[in-house]
Amino acid sequence: MSENMKQNYLNHPKGIMSWLLTLDHKRIGLMYLVSGILFFFLGGLLALVMRFELAAPGNDIISNEIYNNAYTLHGAIMIFLFIIPAIPGALGNILLPLMVGAKDVAFPRLNLASFYIYSFGALFALYTIINGGVDTGWTFYTPYSTQSSSNVVPMTLGIFIIGFSSILTGLNFIATVHKMRIPGLTWYKLPLFVWALYGTSLVQITATPVLAITMVLLMLERFLGIGIFDPALGGDPVLYQHFFWFYSHPAVYIMILPAFGIISEIIPVHSRKKIWGYKFIAYSTLSIAFIGFLVWGHHMFTSGQSVFSQIVFSFITYFVGIPTGVKIFSWILTMYKGQVSFTPPMFYALAFLFLFTIGGLTGIFLGAVALDIHLHDTYFVVAHFHYVMQGGTIVAFLGGLHHWWPKSFGVMYNQTIANIAALGVFIGFNGTFFPQFLLGLRGMPRRYATYDEQFVELHSYSTFWSGILGISIFIAVMNLFWSFIKRNKVDPGSNPWGGMTLEWTHTSSPPHPHNFEEEPVLQHGPYDYDKVIVQKTYKK
Amino acid sequence: MSEHHITPLRTYLIIAASLLFLSGVTVWVSYIDLGSFNIVLAMFVATVKASLVAFFFMHLLWDDKKNLIMFLMSLMFFGIFVTITMLDTAFRGDLGLNPETKDPINKRAAFYDTLPLTDTHGHPVDEHSGKHDEDKDHH
Ligand code: HEM
Ligand SMILES: [Cu+2]
Repeated sequence: MSENMKQNYLNHPKGIMSWLLTLDHKRIGLMYLVSGILFFFLGGLLALVMRFELAAPGNDIISNEIYNNAYTLHGAIMIFLFIIPAIPGALGNILLPLMVGAKDVAFPRLNLASFYIYSFGALFALYTIINGGVDTGWTFYTPYSTQSSSNVVPMTLGIFIIGFSSILTGLNFIATVHKMRIPGLTWYKLPLFVWALYGTSLVQITATPVLAITMVLLMLERFLGIGIFDPALGGDPVLYQHFFWFYSHPAVYIMILPAFGIISEIIPVHSRKKIWGYKFIAYSTLSIAFIGFLVWGHHMFTSGQSVFSQIVFSFITYFVGIPTGVKIFSWILTMYKGQVSFTPPMFYALAFLFLFTIGGLTGIFLGAVALDIHLHDTYFVVAHFHYVMQGGTIVAFLGGLHHWWPKSFGVMYNQTIANIAALGVFIGFNGTFFPQFLLGLRGMPRRYATYDEQFVELHSYSTFWSGILGISIFIAVMNLFWSFIKRNKVDPGSNPWGGMTLEWTHTSSPPHPHNFEEEPVLQHGPYDYDKVIVQKTYKK
Repeated sequence: MSEHHITPLRTYLIIAASLLFLSGVTVWVSYIDLGSFNIVLAMFVATVKASLVAFFFMHLLWDDKKNLIMFLMSLMFFGIFVTITMLDTAFRGDLGLNPETKDPINKRAAFYDTLPLTDTHGHPVDEHSGKHDEDKDHH
């Protein structure tokens, strides 16, 4: 091992300032990862408090007011502080430049600025928690949000600020994909994770400004009573929902597209087979990003929007199913006749296929107006979006972490424990959320701390399994960090899963501070398992 | 992209004058009652002005065409947002079949007159005294 290979981005340069002022995309990615996971645990803790409250009817543990704060903070933290910023911010930052063969993102300073803007926004969210919370729900619907005496302003201000971080990261990634690819790495030779990040970034820069406008209008309404949402002043409360969902439906694709990208990497590598339908997957990413802008009204079927819009939105919503289905079938066909190995990343990818499919299909149910009138604001919706956001995005995120962990940090975790934890996540997740579909069908409304006697059985199942789910996620993450603490190192040249993309073939693990010792020369496409034999190499 | 485009001062002045002229147009058309088309016209003039700024002052015309695509995309998304939102506000209320609930978004609509007056907590308020009204049956 040469001296140069011993030097990596984690140990060089040294000192706390070299971290705080770093321009290295890998270090910035790691900082996003740590903060994201901390918020994930904070949001998860709130979820468990709610689940234990719901174990039995009546207010056993917390009052209605605290419950309102708990679900608002849970949703806002998970979405605005963890899933949206941290997944592109962490895995995207660490991997994008490596995958395109670049030394860094296009604008490294802007990248650091994004991280600090995110942290600054997060401070407002933390202040909200310390100052007594906020009780409007993560959607901040008017008119309640203009009247509630809880901390609506600090929280929306925090979200406003974090939005800028999201826009700047998106801009940076788009410029990186356009400008920083090595010669020969044409669009159709890009790893699909890069396509996914590109699609995500497009949505980030086009949708997030609308979130910012929405939050500003809400604050203006509160402070100055400008009357844009207040009917007494000629405004329209439903207009708030148009603004909010014009951002937030595309935002669900900011959450799921990176997950799609992760799955498109894990499945071919762990099946040792060329991805099926590369171009279909790439273009379905773009078409999902686009159609995602046309369907926001499916969140407003019971809000009193015009019947004409209901029909239009319902109709367009079904179209999202097409590119999504294209992806699912392409992944399944990729595994067909491949050499599937049941590694932890692959376990997560398989779990993703099951869970996301259930989540996506129930989304189509909800897209049908007639059905949604009954199911809106029930536990059916709660189950739907947890199947897509947790069963989809977070499971894919965990899979991605396990896949790129040896690459990013040069250490290998205990794979048996990782597999057991993955199984626990899968079972615990279904145990927690499947009963919620039934609860919703039977009429249990969401956002209540207490409920009718008839729901007790399903609710207590859900609570029991949520404990298993929480423990499994905790074990999965601790297993990863334990490998880091124990320094269970892999050989810097190793390629434990036999990946073919540049980060596996041309960098050491963990990568050199400048990524590549010299500019890499592309020898094959990202998934050419039919043409080239890549050895799995994994030495301690 | 390769060499930096230098715009003659004359162009800048012409654009500045057009912007001022268009501001005048905005004010002028606001006096003509075109119904809901007033907003369409005002937005159209504003869009033309913004485009002039982007193309000439911000050099979009001479820039890499990818930037132009990005700019047009933002216009397109804005158009989508406004148009589809109007599908709601323009058709509110039972597809227009019931005159009672048609156009509740309109301030002058009967809908608002039939609602009892409430305070911010939803408690009924007496219209004349402004005090809370215990017996709300006579409304
Ligand atoms: C096939 C794709 C999908 C379709 C057709 C779909 C459809 C829907 C519909 C119609 C609703 C509204 C239900 C109601 O409130 O009555 C909904 C809610 C929701 N969906 Fe999806 N969805 C899809 C995928 C996703 C994905 C990928 C995510 C996130 C990763 C997501 C996140 C959510 C969230 C967070 C809500 C609830 C918002 C709230 O009221 O708090 N959905 N979905
Ligand atoms: Cu949606």
